[in-house]
Amino acid sequence: MKHRITYLVHNPDHFSPEQLSVKDDSLALSKVDAAKEHRITFGLSELPRELRKAFEQWHELHIRWATESPYTAISPFTSRVSPGLHAFFTPHKDQSAGPLCDLLREAFGHGLGCEGPEETFIKLPILSGRFSMSSSSQYYAHVPSLPNLVIYIQQKVCPASSTSCQKGASSLLSASYLDIDYDTISHALILNAYWAREPTSGTWTETISPRGKEETIEIGVLNNEKNPDPEDVAFSGFLTVLGQDTSPKPTRFQTPTRHYPLPSTELTYKTSFSHPTGLHPTLLISLPRANLEPPNPTCKLHAHLTLPRTLFIDKYQFNDELFLASKNLVSLRSLHGATDLEAPDWVVPQWGSAALFELAVPSDQQKENQDEWQVSIPMHLRYLPPSETGHREVPVPWPVVFWACRSEEGAKMAVNPFDRLHLGYEGLFGSKTRFMHVPPSGNASRLFEEISVPVLNLERAGPVEWGTVGVVVAAFLWLCWGLFRGAGGNDGKEVEKGKKKQ
Amino acid sequence: MATSSFFQSSRAVFSAAVLLRAIFLVYGLFQDAFSPMKYTDIDYFVFTDAARFISQGRSPYDRDTYRYTPLLAWFIYPTTWPGLWFSFGKVLFAIGDIVAGWLMLLVLRSYQNMPQERALKFASIWLLNPMVATISTRGSSEGLLGIIVTALLWAVLAKRIELAGFLLGFAVHFKIYPFIYAASTVWWLDGGDSGQKNSGTAKKPGSMVAQIFEFINCERLTLALYSLVTFMSLNVIMYLAYGFPFLEHSYFYHLIRIDHRHNFSPYNILLYLNSFPDPTTQSSVELEHLAFLPQLLLSAVMVPIALAKKDLPSTMLVQTFAFVTFNKVCTSQYFLWYMMFFPFYLPDSTLLRSPGIGISALILWVLGQALWLQQGYQLEFLGNSTFVPGLWASSILFFLVNVWILSIIIQDVKAKSHLSHAVKPVKKVP
Repeated sequence: MKHRITYLVHNPDHFSPEQLSVKDDSLALSKVDAAKEHRITFGLSELPRELRKAFEQWHELHIRWATESPYTAISPFTSRVSPGLHAFFTPHKDQSAGPLCDLLREAFGHGLGCEGPEETFIKLPILSGRFSMSSSSQYYAHVPSLPNLVIYIQQKVCPASSTSCQKGASSLLSASYLDIDYDTISHALILNAYWAREPTSGTWTETISPRGKEETIEIGVLNNEKNPDPEDVAFSGFLTVLGQDTSPKPTRFQTPTRHYPLPSTELTYKTSFSHPTGLHPTLLISLPRANLEPPNPTCKLHAHLTLPRTLFIDKYQFNDELFLASKNLVSLRSLHGATDLEAPDWVVPQWGSAALFELAVPSDQQKENQDEWQVSIPMHLRYLPPSETGHREVPVPWPVVFWACRSEEGAKMAVNPFDRLHLGYEGLFGSKTRFMHVPPSGNASRLFEEISVPVLNLERAGPVEWGTVGVVVAAFLWLCWGLFRGAGGNDGKEVEKGKKKQ
Repeated sequence: MATSSFFQSSRAVFSAAVLLRAIFLVYGLFQDAFSPMKYTDIDYFVFTDAARFISQGRSPYDRDTYRYTPLLAWFIYPTTWPGLWFSFGKVLFAIGDIVAGWLMLLVLRSYQNMPQERALKFASIWLLNPMVATISTRGSSEGLLGIIVTALLWAVLAKRIELAGFLLGFAVHFKIYPFIYAASTVWWLDGGDSGQKNSGTAKKPGSMVAQIFEFINCERLTLALYSLVTFMSLNVIMYLAYGFPFLEHSYFYHLIRIDHRHNFSPYNILLYLNSFPDPTTQSSVELEHLAFLPQLLLSAVMVPIALAKKDLPSTMLVQTFAFVTFNKVCTSQYFLWYMMFFPFYLPDSTLLRSPGIGISALILWVLGQALWLQQGYQLEFLGNSTFVPGLWASSILFFLVNVWILSIIIQDVKAKSHLSHAVKPVKKVP
C-alpha cells in the first residue's frame, strides 16, 4: 500500500517550513492552510477477496464523485465534474460485468438505480480515436454524500485493529471530490480524495505515520510558482518520504498540464432554471460579461451537462443558427445516452444522458451591457409515475463550465503527477486540448437545482378509471342505439322530407 | 353581390385558394429566416431530415420519430437540393390540398347534383379554410392524405374500382387508419344499381351460401384484390429496402405506443394511470387494451353497415369522426382527417338547416378544445398538476361534445334513406 499526500498551500506568504517537523518516521503539520490530496495505491492482493474477484473481471473502472457544496479548487486540482457519483467502465471483451451494480449499491447507497452495465450505463462516444484512454460506458447517480462508502470501507477494507484506517475512511465525509481508479494494466486500485480545506478549523494540524512496514508514505507540501513556461504549471516546496528522510527536502519542478488554472479569478458561473419550469424547463447559466474574455484565441467556452433521465435534450432543436444565437449557444457538440424524445421515465432503462454544448461569448458591443451574460438550454421532462401530491421533486446537478483551448504539448500532459482523466468530457476533444475550468459561484448553497415536476395526483385519480370507462361505454351504446333504432321503419317519412327540399 | 359573383367562378375560388397558400408560404419563409420561433412544423424537419438520409443512401428511420412510410421521404426528395428547394414539400402538400379541393368540387357537382356556385361554396370550406392552408404550408403531411382519401372517394363514386382499390391500398400503407373505408366502400358496392337491388335482396330469403355469393360480387372482388395487392406490394418493397425498422416505425409503433403525452383523447389520463409498473395500484382489468373495441366496432363495422348504402361520403365522415373521437391518441391534426368530408355532408345537414344546433355544435366543439388547452397550458408551461380533474374532465367533456355531434350526423345520414342512391345512376361526368 502506497500513500501520496499533497498539501497545496493557499497563500505562500502564510507558510513557513517551521510548520513541518519530522520525528522518527512521522511528519507533523501545524496549522497549514492548504488544500489536500490523499492518494492511496492498493495492490489487488491487498483487497478483500470479494473486491479482488470483481475487479479481475473488468478492464477498467473509474469512479468520480464530487460534493454538492461549492468548493475552491487550487491548481493543479482545478478539474471538475458535476456533483454526484459518476462511473466510467469498460468490461473485458466478451465477459460479463459481474456484480458491478451490486457493488456500487453496497458502496454508495442501496437506492441507486442500477440494473446492470448493459441496461443502465450509456455508451460514450469516442470522437477522438487517439484517446484510447476513454472508457466505453458511463453511469451517474445522485449521491449527495458518502456515509455508505465510509461504512463500507470501515467494515470491508480496513483491518479491524486499525483505528487510523477507520479515521481515514470517515474523513471522506468532508472530501470535496473522490476518485477511484482501477485498470487491468496497472493491476492496482487507486483511491484519490481531495479536500479544498480542512473541514473544522480550516488549517491542517496532524501527524502522519505509517501503520506497518508494507506502507510507504510520501508527503509533499507545495506552493504554486509564478511564471513557468507557458502551458506548464510549476511548484516549489518540500517532499518527505517517511522512514527515509530525516527532514523535509526542498523541491522545485514544473510540468505540462491538462487542466490549467484560469487567469481571471473573478469568472464564476451560476446555474438556475427559469420559472415556472412546467414540462419544458430551461436551464440558465449566468456569467459576468466583463470577465468573459477567452484566455487565448483558441479557447472556446463549453458546458458539460449530466442529465438524469427525467430530463432530456431534443438535439433537433439545436440545428438552427437563429435559435442557437437567441440562447447564446454556438452548438450542441455531443449528446449521448437516453435521448428518446417520447418515452416516459419508467420505460427508459438508462440512467440519463450527457451533453456537451459550446457556449457563445459576448461580442465587444454586447460587453457594454451591465447585466449578466445568460446562456439558456431548453430541455424537456419525461412523464414521471403518479404521486400522492401531484408533484415529484427531481434534483438536477449543475453542469461544469470550462474553456477548451488548443495546446502544443498533448501527450506530455500525462507525465503530470497530478493529471486527472476520465471526467466524461475530455474524450470528446482532441488529445492536444487544455481545459481551463470556470468555478461555480461560491455563493450557491448547493450545486443542485430542484425541479418540481407535475404528475398525476393519485389522491384525486379515483374516478378516472370507472369514469372514463363509464362515459365511453355509455357513449358507445348511445351511438349504437342511434345507428340501429327503428331500422327501416321511418324511411318513408324521411324521403318525403328530402323530396320537399329538392 | 360581390360574394355571389365570386363563388360563381371556379377560377376565382381556386385563384384565391392558391393565393392564400402562396401568402402563407412566403410569410413562413420570412418568419423562419428572421425569427428563432419557426413557422415550419417540427414534423417537416423530420421529413426533410429523413429525405436527406435517403439521399445519402441511408434509412429514413435513422431520423428519430420518423414514423411514416419511406415513400413520404421519397416524395419530398427535392428538399435535399440546395436553396428554395427546401420548401418543395410544403408546395407539394399545398398542391395536394388544392387538388383535393378540386376533387371535392367534382364529387359535389357530379354525385350530389349540386349547381356550380353552391358546390364551390361548400368546397371552399376546404379550399379557403385558413386552418387547412396553414397545416399544409407549415409542412404537415396531412395535406397529402386529403388528396389520397378524396381521390379514393371520387374513384369509388365514379366506379373506377381498380383505381379505388389502388388508392385504398396506398392510403392504408400511408397512414393505416383509412382501412376503415374498406368496410364502407365494400358495403356500398352492392352491384350495379344498388338502390333497387338492395330492397330486392332484402325480400329474398335465400340460403346462406347464396347470400355469400351474392355478397362477393365482381366489384367487391376487384376492390379487395387491387387494394390488397397494392398494400402488400408496397409493404414488401419497403421491407426489402429498409428492413425491420420500416415495420417497426410505420406500423408496430402505432399499435404499441407508450408515450402518453397529454392529448385530447378521453383515454389519455387512464392510460397514464395504468401504464407505469407499480405493484401498489392494481388495475382490475387492463381496460386500456380493450379501448380499440368500441372504436373499431363503430368505425369499421357498425357505421358502414348502418349507413354506407345511404350516403357514402357522409358515412366516411361518420367513420372518421368516430375513429378520431374514440382513438387512444387524439391531437388537433387528426381533426383534419374528418374535416375533409364536411363539404359533402353539410349541404343538407341539421347543422346548417337549424342554425341554433349548428352554431352551438361549433361553439361547443371550439370551447371543449379551449378548455382543454387552458388546462394543458397550466400543466405544460406553469407546471401545475392539472391531470385530474382539469385535463381529464375537459377531455371527457370534449369527447361528449364530439359524440353529440356524431349522433346528429348519424341521424342526418340515416334520414337520407336511399335518396343518394336514386341520384347515383345519373352519371353525368362533366
